[in-house]
Amino acid sequence: MPISPTRSGAVSEATLRGPGVFDELAKTFAILRRETEKPLPARIAEAALVVAGARRAAVYLRDGDRWLLGFDSGKDGAPIELPESFPASAIVHAGFLWVPLDAEGETHGCLALEGLGHEEPEELAAALGLIFGSVLAASRLSRLVKDAEFEIKARLLELESLYDLGLSLSGQLDISALADEVLYRSISLTDARKGTLIVFGERGAGPLARSVGGDLLPPQAIWSWDLPEGEVAINNDAAHVPTAGVRLSDCQKCLAVSIAVPGRRLGVLAVADKESRDGRVLDFTPGDARLLSLFANQAAAAIETTRLHREAIEKERIERELELAAAIQRQLLPRELPHIPGVELAGSTLPTRQVGGDYFDWFPLSGGRLGFVVADVSGKGIPAALLVSTVHAAIHLQIDASETIVDLVSRIDRHLQRFSPAHKFLTLFFGLLEPAADLLRYVSAGHNPALLARRGGAIDRLSATGVPLGLLPHGSWREETVELGRGDLLCVYTDGFTEATNSDEEEFGLERLEQGVRSRLVLPAREISDALYGEVAAFAAGIPQYDDQTLLIVRREA
Amino acid sequence: MSETCKVSVERRGDVAVFWTDGYINNQGGEEIAKEAYSELDRGARALVMNLEKTRIVNSIGISILIEVLEKVMERKAVLAFCGLTPTIDKTFRIMGLAQYAAIYSTESEALQAVGASA
Repeated sequence: MPISPTRSGAVSEATLRGPGVFDELAKTFAILRRETEKPLPARIAEAALVVAGARRAAVYLRDGDRWLLGFDSGKDGAPIELPESFPASAIVHAGFLWVPLDAEGETHGCLALEGLGHEEPEELAAALGLIFGSVLAASRLSRLVKDAEFEIKARLLELESLYDLGLSLSGQLDISALADEVLYRSISLTDARKGTLIVFGERGAGPLARSVGGDLLPPQAIWSWDLPEGEVAINNDAAHVPTAGVRLSDCQKCLAVSIAVPGRRLGVLAVADKESRDGRVLDFTPGDARLLSLFANQAAAAIETTRLHREAIEKERIERELELAAAIQRQLLPRELPHIPGVELAGSTLPTRQVGGDYFDWFPLSGGRLGFVVADVSGKGIPAALLVSTVHAAIHLQIDASETIVDLVSRIDRHLQRFSPAHKFLTLFFGLLEPAADLLRYVSAGHNPALLARRGGAIDRLSATGVPLGLLPHGSWREETVELGRGDLLCVYTDGFTEATNSDEEEFGLERLEQGVRSRLVLPAREISDALYGEVAAFAAGIPQYDDQTLLIVRREA
Repeated sequence: MSETCKVSVERRGDVAVFWTDGYINNQGGEEIAKEAYSELDRGARALVMNLEKTRIVNSIGISILIEVLEKVMERKAVLAFCGLTPTIDKTFRIMGLAQYAAIYSTESEALQAVGASA
């Protein structure tokens, strides 16, 4: 029932001019400003009770299409009978004066008053509607401003977080700490309740997984993850159905993205159940998806950088170890030329890597004799170098105890059979020069034919006299004796010398080596050696070689 | 890390010291607010919140902490935080919490600043 033809909210001039109106207003605002700890609807109801002299006041608040009871001063009394709809103008219904609280053409709430002590209810209703409507509007506006400020700060926080994360990750080489940082920020800035980040393990290691609030997907699930790079999976409707091929556990809504660099997936970042202030689970937005993608991109870059950095460190470590191994191996080579009258020696080796599988050595023996050896271990690099070291030790330990060259070679073979891995063997030429008798005794264990050049230019090839060492369980070797007189020369080499190739994949070959030796017979041993190395280098013309090159020249002065 | 935040409180005279452990989200924030309002009603004039076991705070948690701060200011009390990770420290500064609540590195610094009795 409308109480007055006067439009609600229109206060008559008589009312505004009336005696005591300012007192009433002052009283109203004093109550509204007092006890600010109380919610605004309670203070409005309290002011209305005082100003209108009512027994009971209730304030209803409008939230979109919904109406909520904000405060009822008589909440312990009988429930208030609501009108069919909240009125657009003041009405009396079931003993209550219902006053819409309007401002700026919008209804913000409704005031219900019972037992009015006021003589002019329609004027009162208009005044209260105007005052309290404005108060609610101002409160709402203040809240909107606050929310907008909060939102702006939250966006600023997002930008700062992305910037900080970039800085932080650029110096972060611990993938575990990196994963925590990315996951925490992702969860925090999407308001998710839980999240999981999984990174594929390296070199056969299992995946690294980090979770907050329980695992959204088990680490093993990463192998089934089939989200293409650059795409984000938003699953706001049914997180129980598989997302990107994986069933996420114990969540209502989720958002997931692959952590990837071009052409390679590195992991998965997933968050779930976006919170609201009232405890509901909200949909993830395209903005959330964009943010998560940015975090995933930063994580991918950092993980990749970490991996490359680790590889670089590992490579550097290996380089250092190889340099050390090379230095150790250099120590195995003879450092001084023995002084044996009438005999010149020159030996050198050129490994293709820091360490090699070739070895040469010499041993001054009693009676002016000279022992010397050239060996070539199968394989290359560290394994071959280790075997060289073994052979070096074996020869030095056994040479004095051996009766003959065959005895020595047999002892080395037994040592290798016992202590070296299967499929590892070596070829070896061991010579024993007796200058006084112009004799050379030798055993060639599967080695390339050594070249025996006579002073007249004829060259004999000294073929193998047995099998390579370490190859067969019961190998046998034969000692041969040849004359090595004044002016004669012996050239022992490894196959890296004769098999050096040029850009046409043509080998240097034995004939070129023979020719090189024959043409330099009158030169000192060192010059012959240097010239032959120079000839091979010129032949290869800068083409990288794949085998070590070793050369030993033993020359009898004429 | 657990999704539930545990909050423990100890009274030192009229200063209430809070320790949080876990994610300060809606649930964690509500736990803190409940304990904070209770301490204010019991006459606390300062609240010191040690967050050293908290690694994540989301915007809901921050808005609840702002509500707590507003209530603290209405009661003419003070609020101080300590033990913040660099990320949470920056978050509080950007979101305006640091404007009216002091931030200290350690709990002892915070207690000394608010004048807590031993």
